[in-house]
Amino acid sequence: MQQAVGDGGRAVPSLRASQSRLMADSFCVHRIIEDPEWCLIAVPPLTELCLQHIVQNFTNNPVLDRLPPEDQRKVLARLPTGLPLTVTANLISDEGYWKRCCTERWQVCDISNHGGSWKRMFLERHLENILKCFVPNTTDPDRVLELIPLCRDYVRKLEVDQFLPPVKEDEKEETDDLSDSGSDLGFGEVYIHHYDLGALVPALPLLEELHLTYGVKDCGMNFEWNLFNFTYQDCCNLAAAVKMCHNLKVFKLTRSNVDDDRTRLLVRSLLDHPSLVELDLSHNLIGDKGAQAVSKLLNHSKLEILHLCNNQIRDEGAQALAQALAKNCTLTSLNLRLNHVEDKGGEAMGCALLTNTTLKSLHLGGNRLAEPTAVLFSQVLTQNSTLTCINFSCNPIGPDGGKQLLEGLRCNQTMTEFDLRLAEVGEESEYLISQMLWANRDAARLQPVLQQPAEPL
Amino acid sequence: MSRGAGEELAGPRWREPAPAPDPHPDPNPDSDPAEPGPEERIAARRRRIAARLDAQRRQALGENEEPKEEAEEVEEERSSHKQVEESRQKLAKLLFEGTRMVTDIQVAVDLRETQRRAEQAELKLQRVEKLENEARSSADKFEEITSKWALAKDMTIPQELWQLLNQQQQLCTQLLEEKNKLIGELQQELKNKDEQYVQTIKKQSDDIHLLLERMEEQIRMMLKTYRRNIHQIEKAFELERRELLDSNRKKWEEAIQALNTKELEYLHARVRKVEEFEKQLNQLRVQDEEEYNSMKIHLESDVQNLERQLQHMKAVYLVNQEKLEYNLQVLKKQDEENTIIRSQQKRKLNRLHSLLSNLRTKLVKQEKQFREENQSLAADCERITGQCKEVQRRMRHFAASDAEKFMKIWLMNEEEAKGLMRKALDADRIIHTQQLGLPWEEPHYWFLNNVGPFRHYKAKRMATKLAAEVLTEGTSGAREKKEEKEEVGSGEGQKENPAKAGDTVTPLQNISKKTAKRILELVSDESGFLIERKLLRPLRALGKHECTLLRLDSIFSALEIDSEDDLYQLMDFFLKYKAKEEALSQSQGSPGGEDITALGEDRADGESNAQSDELKSSQGPLGSLPSVYIHADDVLKILKAFVQDFHKLSNILTRRGNLIAESAVLQQQNSELSLMLEQFIASGVNSMLLSPPVQQMDPNLPCPGEPR
Repeated sequence: MQQAVGDGGRAVPSLRASQSRLMADSFCVHRIIEDPEWCLIAVPPLTELCLQHIVQNFTNNPVLDRLPPEDQRKVLARLPTGLPLTVTANLISDEGYWKRCCTERWQVCDISNHGGSWKRMFLERHLENILKCFVPNTTDPDRVLELIPLCRDYVRKLEVDQFLPPVKEDEKEETDDLSDSGSDLGFGEVYIHHYDLGALVPALPLLEELHLTYGVKDCGMNFEWNLFNFTYQDCCNLAAAVKMCHNLKVFKLTRSNVDDDRTRLLVRSLLDHPSLVELDLSHNLIGDKGAQAVSKLLNHSKLEILHLCNNQIRDEGAQALAQALAKNCTLTSLNLRLNHVEDKGGEAMGCALLTNTTLKSLHLGGNRLAEPTAVLFSQVLTQNSTLTCINFSCNPIGPDGGKQLLEGLRCNQTMTEFDLRLAEVGEESEYLISQMLWANRDAARLQPVLQQPAEPL
Repeated sequence: MSRGAGEELAGPRWREPAPAPDPHPDPNPDSDPAEPGPEERIAARRRRIAARLDAQRRQALGENEEPKEEAEEVEEERSSHKQVEESRQKLAKLLFEGTRMVTDIQVAVDLRETQRRAEQAELKLQRVEKLENEARSSADKFEEITSKWALAKDMTIPQELWQLLNQQQQLCTQLLEEKNKLIGELQQELKNKDEQYVQTIKKQSDDIHLLLERMEEQIRMMLKTYRRNIHQIEKAFELERRELLDSNRKKWEEAIQALNTKELEYLHARVRKVEEFEKQLNQLRVQDEEEYNSMKIHLESDVQNLERQLQHMKAVYLVNQEKLEYNLQVLKKQDEENTIIRSQQKRKLNRLHSLLSNLRTKLVKQEKQFREENQSLAADCERITGQCKEVQRRMRHFAASDAEKFMKIWLMNEEEAKGLMRKALDADRIIHTQQLGLPWEEPHYWFLNNVGPFRHYKAKRMATKLAAEVLTEGTSGAREKKEEKEEVGSGEGQKENPAKAGDTVTPLQNISKKTAKRILELVSDESGFLIERKLLRPLRALGKHECTLLRLDSIFSALEIDSEDDLYQLMDFFLKYKAKEEALSQSQGSPGGEDITALGEDRADGESNAQSDELKSSQGPLGSLPSVYIHADDVLKILKAFVQDFHKLSNILTRRGNLIAESAVLQQQNSELSLMLEQFIASGVNSMLLSPPVQQMDPNLPCPGEPR
């Protein structure tokens, strides 16, 4: 039987099992008389027919494990991609099948974002799509819940960049005060909460990455403030969900209008989290209070990467962060782009970096830093030997500050990236700094441990 | 916020391939057709500056690299490595520049955003101030209106009231208008903002397009440059490989050529050698042929000679064969005879064998008998020795008891004698004193003090010792006296003195030293026959003195002269003999007084003379010579010795007689045998044989003992 299957697939039926041969012979006698050109190749073997039948009735009777590996491969190659997940999710682990599913469903498939596994990619993206299209109070929550047993063993990463708000029954007049409507609605309305992740996330034991954006994509000219309303209730639900998720390593909550109160709420649930490594709260409305809360989190977790770009952190928040940074020994990357840190905060950061020995990358672009910060950072450059990447772009540092930084960099051997674009430091300083950076880069490359230059933002 | 996120999102997607910066087809001008803001212009300017700087830097680096390359070439580093390094540097720079160019947009947007925020904040402040002012003024106006309402209550005149009301209305409308105006302004502002928002969205989309364009450009450029660089590196590698191949091939070819030339040389050498060898071979062949020919001729002549000889030999052979056949016949006959003789001999041999066995058995029997006898004799001997020992013991016992008895008797007798003596002495004293009146002096006799029997202390010195002393005294005359003294002092001892004193005559003292010595020397010289022959030979090596001493020693042992006394006796004998002779010669008048020498000769010839002398002397007319001097023991001794010697002599003589008889018999046999031999030779058989047995046996060889 085995041999027949192997041969039948390639249409080389020179040898058959005795039974099928006997049958075939009885046919042959007649056929050969009728058609001298006829040969056994034209007859599909029985195994082939069986496999075909299995493929056709796979939904009702999924037989795969009991087949020999040779046949399994054939069945998998022929299965249609439209089979219900309830059948396939826990039965089929063949990457080839899932690859077909993915490529048929999406044009762009980057497998490297999903740990190199097609099945994981399919299930993760499937779940993401359902969450993206979920409309509270309209969509049946069972649509999500019924997926949980199917994908709980595979989903490690959820990247949901859109949460739809519930459909409003009462149309509002937005003619008079449009500006106030956002904040008013945020607290006033009860039924505009987004989907509650509290039911889903704790049910996924392997979840390691969670990227969320409470907002609507591609709204274009249909912009309304209440499309981007991250309510307090949402925040409570999210905080509870995240707290239950013990394997979480990366948590990103961007473009979601997270303000100080919500930050504090989130941070409280994330304190002493066992595995969290990266936290991204960029493009929110975090102010000094929120920054203080995050700085508290810094020394109560294992955070290594912290993104707070494009928030409203001022000097007080920056000072709080700097204090935490001075004591911290895990954080390697800090991003404070597009905040209002200004010189006070910048100086506090510089002072913290004089003692810190773990931070490698610091982004302070667009923070209205001026010469005093540059003076302090020239000192940091001479003393600190772990920092490899600093970004001071879009700060009015001025030519004197540039010279100071140049002086500081002369004594430094580790710095490989130092972004001073649009910082008004003068061409000469910029040129000399870039020369020194090249020298440092070459030195770093020649070292046995190759240091990857931090990603320029 | 959400607007800025668009480009942020785009950020992580394009990471690795950065656009090519090198050609710098600045896509600035077409990017912002709507709003060529100052930020954009600044960014563009900066980019241009960066490009310029870049070019300069590259030039500088290129200039720097040239000498470096030369140095590397000096170090013989591989050109491909150099190429790889160069490409790597170039690509890193390209990548860096590309990413910089792409991120430039982001940075510019950031800057714009910050500026916008600043403006916004300012506007907000202004707006708030304006609103506050307006609120204050409107409040004032409202105050005014409300104050006027109180005034209106007091009004009684309707015109005035109407007027007032009109006024109030006007004020209210004014207030409302102001408010409306403000609202309108704000709405206008909002509309402007909306427009701005649209513009911003547009601009952002443009930016994103630009970004995408640049990214694509970058990707293309990077691809192109990577490809080019890979190509270059490959080329470099290929070049290097080709060079390596070329050099290797060159080396190989050189080696091959060298090999070829060498091979050719070897070939030539070989050809030469082959030719040489061929020549030699030919030469050798010719030589060999000549040699062969000469040899052939020589050998042929040899063969002829040999054939001749062969013929001759054949003739001789025939003759010989006949002779030998005859010989064979003769020998066969002889053989028959011999077999007969051999059987006879065998029979004889058997007989003799049986005889021998008989004799052996007899011998065994006799041996057994003798052994038994010996055993019985040994037992007898043991028994006798036991008896003898017993007798000796008894004898000793009796001697001791006799000695004791003798002692006792002696003491008793001595006592008695002493008592008698004393009586006699007393009587004598009395006679002298009383009877004669003479003073009596008591005589002093030694024996009066003696207790016990007299003892003879004279130790008998050995004869040889004495002789040695005498001889030494003789030789060293100077020390004579001293020796004598010593002899007296040490040899005899103190105890001997009284004995000497008592013994009046010591034989040696009677004879002078010289005479003693002379006698001894004579004895040693003349009685050599007594010495065994074995001893004589080693004696010659010794000195004269020792020689005489040893001779004397052996002579004494032969004569059994053991003690001193014997020697003295000998001396005395000689001396007395001489004295008697002298007396005889004197009395008979015969002059032939025999010397001591003659006497020694006599003694040497035979003891019989000595005996007769002794007899003569004992029976001689000279009775003066005491017969005591000739002891019977001595005579006996001499006789014994004589008889012994005589027996020996008779034995020898009888043996000799036997031997003579045997030799006579042997001679007779010999002569018979020689006769037989002669007969055999004379038979003539041997002459016929090729190797006649005669040659082995010399017939002329004298048979042993024949001539005698």
